[in-house]
Amino acid sequence: MTLKEFILSRVQVFFVLVTLILLGSGILGGIYAPEQELHYYHLFSPIIIAGACILPTCVTYFKKEPTPLQYIIRQVIELILIELVVINLVSPPPEYNGSKIEFYISIGCMIFIIYMIIQVLSWLKKYKQAIKLTEQLKTFQTAE
Amino acid sequence: MLTKITKIDKSKPELIEIQCHIVTDEVQEIVAFVKSRQGQLSCVADEKMYEVAVSDIFYIETVDNKSFVYTQGNVYETKQKLYELEEMLKEKRFLRISKSMLLNLMKVSSIKPALNSRFTAELMTGEQVVISRKYVSDLKKALKGEKAK
Repeated sequence: MTLKEFILSRVQVFFVLVTLILLGSGILGGIYAPEQELHYYHLFSPIIIAGACILPTCVTYFKKEPTPLQYIIRQVIELILIELVVINLVSPPPEYNGSKIEFYISIGCMIFIIYMIIQVLSWLKKYKQAIKLTEQLKTFQTAE
Repeated sequence: MLTKITKIDKSKPELIEIQCHIVTDEVQEIVAFVKSRQGQLSCVADEKMYEVAVSDIFYIETVDNKSFVYTQGNVYETKQKLYELEEMLKEKRFLRISKSMLLNLMKVSSIKPALNSRFTAELMTGEQVVISRKYVSDLKKALKGEKAK
């Protein structure tokens, strides 16, 4: 993957993240602080968090082809870095009465679920691409 | 080396003759090239020479600067370098899929996703070979009938 392709893929991930963070915030906010009123500037939070989460994903850029193990290790490092960035960025709302640990565990789990959804979506996209390539291959083989 | 082309009558068989003082590697390369153009590749296995039909080859792999030709159940060695074979066989539907491998697209049964941006090609024998991410775009172009860079 060239640097340009990598940057483009990061932009795609950024928009998926913004959507999923909005969704996750809505669900968690509804559970833990249903009375909380938001200001317009709060709408920037998903964008800021998604932007901050994109930075650690740079660890997955390889100039040379990685081995499957190297790839998996980088993915794990990426997830840990994202968890750390988000946990540092968010704090429990003032009206929140539960324990802080519980709050951060919920955030951690939410990030993990979002991360896994993105991985599944990426895999499905690749799977669809592989099916298309196989179809093109069959046409190519019978074209002679 | 001088080259000479003589037009002959259609009733006579076409012939390429090389007159040389010594059979050098260069001469052998020319012979191998002519054979590959005719759909054959000169290979060695168990110290015996074989003419392997290009259409029988599944893939060609380079290991420790040696090129190995894989057919169904057999492995042969050829003196030619992978880049030479790539040039010779590109019209025979062979495609470079990694730094060390040339794949016969006619022997692939399906393409599957793999980790990172790679794909796996499943051969008609059931064997799987990895298509490096660098060559995925060339594969897409080749399957669309466009020329790879």
